[in-house]
Amino acid sequence: MTVVHFQDVSKKFGRTKALNNATFSIEENKITGLIGRNGAGKTTILNIISGFIQATSEEVKVFSEKPFNSLLVSANSILVDDKMSMPSLNLKGILIEAGRFYEKWDASLAQRLFEYFSFDENQSHDTLSKGKKSTFNMIIGLASRCPLTVFDEPTTGMDEAVRNDFYRALLKDYLAHPRTILLSSHHLNEMEDLLEEVLLIKDGETHLHMPIEDLKNYAIAFKGKAELVKESTKDQSILYQKTHGPDQMYIVSKNTYSEETLQRIKRSGMEISNVTPSEVCVYLTSSSKGGIDDVFS
Amino acid sequence: MFLNTEGTKPIYVQIAEWIETEILNGNFKKDDKVNSQYQLAEMFNINPATAGKGLMILMDENVIYKKRGLGMFVSIDAKKNIINKRKEQTLKRLVQELVLEAKYLDVDEKELLEMIRQANLEGKGEEK
Repeated sequence: MTVVHFQDVSKKFGRTKALNNATFSIEENKITGLIGRNGAGKTTILNIISGFIQATSEEVKVFSEKPFNSLLVSANSILVDDKMSMPSLNLKGILIEAGRFYEKWDASLAQRLFEYFSFDENQSHDTLSKGKKSTFNMIIGLASRCPLTVFDEPTTGMDEAVRNDFYRALLKDYLAHPRTILLSSHHLNEMEDLLEEVLLIKDGETHLHMPIEDLKNYAIAFKGKAELVKESTKDQSILYQKTHGPDQMYIVSKNTYSEETLQRIKRSGMEISNVTPSEVCVYLTSSSKGGIDDVFS
Repeated sequence: MFLNTEGTKPIYVQIAEWIETEILNGNFKKDDKVNSQYQLAEMFNINPATAGKGLMILMDENVIYKKRGLGMFVSIDAKKNIINKRKEQTLKRLVQELVLEAKYLDVDEKELLEMIRQANLEGKGEEK
């Protein structure tokens, strides 16, 4: 079943186009990573899905309904980010209110996480540090057990131990209670094992949507003598290239090679290495093939 | 076991290989139930779809079989199938790499065979 469907969705803020004909679908009970550079349109997409803002031109369906002004979407989804508006109560009070709001709320899980991360019941939400606020919001997001759970940059400010705990907690709770989860982050490498699919956004458009395991084989890197490297990648679409010293070159290209071809290239004396999904996303979303070096050359 | 997340091997292949190794070690015997995709996801901290893909590989290679509603079980020929596959694929590839490296270093066939014999002897020494 399709939970989220976008068909040619655009959004303008004044004259700025934040989304430009974005089209994609998200299936039920999958964990999808929403990846993109700063300003690519990730947050805009998540806000439209949650019904917080309305698209300029739209065909948006969430649970088969338009999310804007939809009670169904509101009751079955949660958007966790650093701008969540909380009632002016202490932390304990917020947990109690959240339990009244979300039908599938797991109070016991919330309490156990609350204690594990050493929160003080009497503290107020706006006096929490950046990392603590993210951690508390994450607890709300997990314990709400919403059929559509959306996290926008959930790990902002969290230290490494808490980030690892968060990903582990998310996986364990997902295994026990499968639901549709959308995660946006700049740190694909630290969450890639958790994901089933990756949705890559570039300049407000859907650039790529595929299973994470396919993305791992999407590109391949060659290193060696410049002429050899160029020869083996001449018919391929090149994602990144860099010269090393006088006659060495490093080229990342799309991987459409057969195992035999790769073995042959290897025997001709070139180094072949894999390209991580995180690197692929950086190369695909960068505006030049040489990266920051192009600015200085 | 810890997964090698930096390495060149896809996670689902590593999952399949882990189960294969458990079978070769005798930790899973024929008709034993192997871990479900959800158990594997929890054990290795990965998405259950990835773990499922690892199990699918083993199904295709007749290492495990599915009993509807009950789970995955070790095939009668599991051990034989794994050994055949590893000989055909892994060992063959390693030998090719060995030969290639020897060529780079101008090590001739005789010297290479002598090195293999030596390594074999040392390996036997360790077993005792």
